[in-house]
Amino acid sequence: MSLTRIRVHLLLVACLAVLPDQIARAENWPGWRGPHRNGVTSDTGVPTTWSATENVLWKMPLPGIGTSNPVVWGDKVFVTASEGRDQGELHVICFDRDTGRERWHQRLWGTAPTLFYGRSGMASPSPVTDGKRLFAFFGTGDVFCFDLDGGLLWQRAIADEYGPFENRFAAASSPLLFEDKLIVQCDHYGASYVLALDQQTGANRWKSDRPEVWLSWSSPQLVPSGDRVELVLCGSEKLDGYDPRTGSRLWTVRGLARECVPTPLFGHGMLFVVSGPNGTHLAIKPGGSGDITDSHVVWKNDRGTSFVPSAILVGERYYLADDKGIGSCLDAHTGKLIWKKRFGDKFTASPVAADGKLFFTNEAGSTLVLDATQAGYEEVARNDIGEEVYASPAISQGKLFLRTAKNLVCVGMKLAPR
Amino acid sequence: MKWIAGCLMLVGLVRIGGLAPPDDPGPQLAVIAKTGPQGEGSAAAKVARDQLAKQGVEVLPQLLVAMDTTNAVAANWYRTVYEEIVARELARDVTKWPVEFFKEYVSDAKRAGRPRRLVLGLLDKLEPAFRAKWLPTRLDDSEFRYEAVGLALSAGDRALQDKDPSSAKAAFRKAFESARDSTQVTQAAAKLKSLGEPAEVAQHLGLVTEWWLVGAFDAPQKTGFAKIFEPEVNVDLQAKYRDQGGTEIVWKRHHETDTLGQLDLNKQLGTTREAVGYAYSEIDVPRAQAAQVRCGADDNCSVWLNGEKVFARDQWLNGTRFDRFIAPIQLKSGRNTLLVKICQGPQHKDPEVPNNWSLQLRLCDEQGRGIAFKPAQMP
Repeated sequence: MSLTRIRVHLLLVACLAVLPDQIARAENWPGWRGPHRNGVTSDTGVPTTWSATENVLWKMPLPGIGTSNPVVWGDKVFVTASEGRDQGELHVICFDRDTGRERWHQRLWGTAPTLFYGRSGMASPSPVTDGKRLFAFFGTGDVFCFDLDGGLLWQRAIADEYGPFENRFAAASSPLLFEDKLIVQCDHYGASYVLALDQQTGANRWKSDRPEVWLSWSSPQLVPSGDRVELVLCGSEKLDGYDPRTGSRLWTVRGLARECVPTPLFGHGMLFVVSGPNGTHLAIKPGGSGDITDSHVVWKNDRGTSFVPSAILVGERYYLADDKGIGSCLDAHTGKLIWKKRFGDKFTASPVAADGKLFFTNEAGSTLVLDATQAGYEEVARNDIGEEVYASPAISQGKLFLRTAKNLVCVGMKLAPR
Repeated sequence: MKWIAGCLMLVGLVRIGGLAPPDDPGPQLAVIAKTGPQGEGSAAAKVARDQLAKQGVEVLPQLLVAMDTTNAVAANWYRTVYEEIVARELARDVTKWPVEFFKEYVSDAKRAGRPRRLVLGLLDKLEPAFRAKWLPTRLDDSEFRYEAVGLALSAGDRALQDKDPSSAKAAFRKAFESARDSTQVTQAAAKLKSLGEPAEVAQHLGLVTEWWLVGAFDAPQKTGFAKIFEPEVNVDLQAKYRDQGGTEIVWKRHHETDTLGQLDLNKQLGTTREAVGYAYSEIDVPRAQAAQVRCGADDNCSVWLNGEKVFARDQWLNGTRFDRFIAPIQLKSGRNTLLVKICQGPQHKDPEVPNNWSLQLRLCDEQGRGIAFKPAQMP
């Protein structure tokens, strides 16, 4: 072995020695609310200060409208959007993480556009990826599967197969991946259901009808419960637990709002669910069967609930900014209020967290950064991107991706020139 | 050998110029046409798509004809081919585009609207002056009507600014007659009326505004949808019933004056909850015809035409949105009867949510133009 080759090997070993740490600090953001579907990532090195010009690595215009969060896998960033008078023109776009260059852009037709919210159109659901395929669900009742180079692999026009969605603000539920299935919650004014699709072919693995369920915009969640995994769906004044392998319903908790938007969280062995406005926060032990309202609810708090933004759980504390901009922090174990603050402006985006910091982005485009390691309210910074923001941010590989009303903005530390 | 090389070069140049006959795309198009529910046919469609995408613009006419399909999945597979070829060829400056085919295709109102719109977008790049000349002529084209009416409204506004009321009236009249979108209809009507011209929105949209009303019948919680009250069994405008409180109630005549025919039952029958009201109308239609009933109600409605139930939806806490529900109907020549049941549910647990009780209903053709009818002369 030559000296040069030995040097190369030593360098490789040195790289491998630090790699686990690097991996731990550079996660992907593969779908709605990140790697653990709760807004929290182990990523580090994310800037805590920025402005419309400071720490902006790149900014790319987006077509149409949408509030789906950006999805990041490796050096690719994926965004969905819709446009047109009926928002039936759908976009799935892949940007280069480091430069913002558009790598590919698929334009498709949505099968059955519905009424919609003027900021999100048909592109409220966030796409999701496993690193091999990208799955995109739209309010038009379509699911598309692409390879990561933009090649269409399959499409399901479920609005054609099971009837058009009837929705005031277009469907907003972000699908999730479980084993070899893609789970899509389709709650609407008509016949509601939840589907598990084969990731490879798009065919149904199971379909579970939800005849008693009305319109909701919440996203499904997976929770461990003993030796099983449960699929949790909010909607129509209740929370249902399902077996994600079969679609059979396991349990129900009553007491949610009629129309649910936020996504449940899991932590400390409990499910945290919020629905509002004028609704309630619930902490629930998953498991059981039938109506578990009286047996599994650990705590309940009727104050400060949100209609759209989801909550976030960091350590022992549960944080939320409601739609009107009132922030609150509860003890995750008891539901007791720790602090309450007026954050300012309105909120649609859900908070994210990394590196001991919480990021709350309001509709005006200002992100409030809080220190999550402190027991009390500890403001780190307020950063104004200079544009309206309705989509939840994504954090990946030391960068924060803000989808503004018109652009995708990559915020990160600029490397000093050599 | 030089002449062989020369021929090959010539073939290459011709292909680049888009003049070469295409490899027959029929088999690949047929494979994609077989895609359907459950992701069926996707793997084969992917192969066919990739092969088609290698072709030049000469394949676009056949591709566009294939895109004129009701198969939503196949249409998107075709579209990915179209987008790839168009993006690639636009980057060249030697492509010979089938522009005349594109113009014929985009002007064929019988074809599916979405691929026609794609082609119009491409024509914007190939022949930028085309749209401005072509679009104002599309007043009877269901895909482009909205934009054409918008242009007619703008032309009317410009004529007004130029102090040319005669041209303005003509433009607004054209917009009004062609419009099917309720907002455009009301806009055009308002413009005409401001110029002293008649324009009947209710007639144009086929809104039913002459009603006989009775209620509120007692229907605790959400029982009203299924519970059958006397008017459903027999409409007798002279009959007397008991309301929720036991008070005698009778049918009363009502003419709705709301521009879009929205009937507020809280005003007409009294503010209440957990109740049922009925609206009845008779209309005279000049000829038998297929039509649509388009309706919306808060909380919900059931509709009977000539004694036959033609629409019902068991939903609660809905808003009354224009054309929310559409059901096909068959009107007979002469007198037709309409009975509508409107349910009012419990108050939402959030006291800030208004407890609306309302109905909006119209009769129109598939394009949304109101059916010509007259309210029947009734005692």
